[in-house]
Amino acid sequence: MSEKKTTHFGFEQVEVDKKAERVADVFHSVAGKYDLMNDLMSGGVHRLWKRYTIEKSAVRTGHKVLDIAGGTGDLSYQFAQKVGPEGLVVLADINASMLNVGRDRLTDRGVAGNLTCAQADAQYLPFPDNTFDCITIAFGLRNVTDKDLALAAMLRVLKPSGRLLILEFSKPANPLLEKAYDTYSFSLLPLMGKLITNDADSYRYLAESIRMHPDQKTLQGMMDNAGFVMTEFQNMTGGIVALHMGVKP
Amino acid sequence: MIDKKLLSILVCPVSKGELDYQADKNELVCWSSGLAYPVRDGIPVMLESEARALSEDEKQQHKHR
Repeated sequence: MSEKKTTHFGFEQVEVDKKAERVADVFHSVAGKYDLMNDLMSGGVHRLWKRYTIEKSAVRTGHKVLDIAGGTGDLSYQFAQKVGPEGLVVLADINASMLNVGRDRLTDRGVAGNLTCAQADAQYLPFPDNTFDCITIAFGLRNVTDKDLALAAMLRVLKPSGRLLILEFSKPANPLLEKAYDTYSFSLLPLMGKLITNDADSYRYLAESIRMHPDQKTLQGMMDNAGFVMTEFQNMTGGIVALHMGVKP
Repeated sequence: MIDKKLLSILVCPVSKGELDYQADKNELVCWSSGLAYPVRDGIPVMLESEARALSEDEKQQHKHR
């Protein structure tokens, strides 16, 4: 009998084909309070991280943008303003609960015409080759089972010279900051999760999944291997978060 | 109902083939992979795990259309 292949789900080992399901449960559980929790957990700083990502995207009028794992639509909303009526923004997420929250929120904010939603898996993107001028994935790559497969799929659907931006939790550069951050995320975070969403486990997964995610240099190497050029990263908030960028040759 | 702009850039995630929107069933059909993707609340669900496998009858009917 052959052993089933496993992968990490936070610090837990799970069978590869079970990870997506487990991640889905986390996001079904937190979808309704996702934005509130982001604000509380990051002290509002996640808005700055996202604003910086938009600035670096160089998205302009007429562009086609794919916002993968776009969840509740923070980036998509900003992109929709930038691409204008000639452009198109696709908000994609594998999770129906997150996508519904995102779509309703965008409708409330009066976005229409150039923004559309699709439920899709980052590893198997349902778009033709050479479609998008820019792809963003913010706080999403961490949850993807096979990151190399996802990077290859993103490269495929980008146009030549198109740009990929990955915003994700990363490894703090300073050991002191790392220690404080550990205390915060393994004690305070699950407690906040319990108080606000009555779901400490989901937020414990969040903290653990961040530690399991490849560090800055490793992720850059994975982008190089996938075939991206001009790859680089910028640390934000001392490396708690990093923005990785790469271009399709 | 599905957004026309979106439909124009969607392909089957399995075959990367073209999709045929079937308004009566509100599904996106890929004849080459034999899968039908549901559209829920106007959002196309482009996941193989959520797709319906087309019956032999449906495939035959399409061939002779």
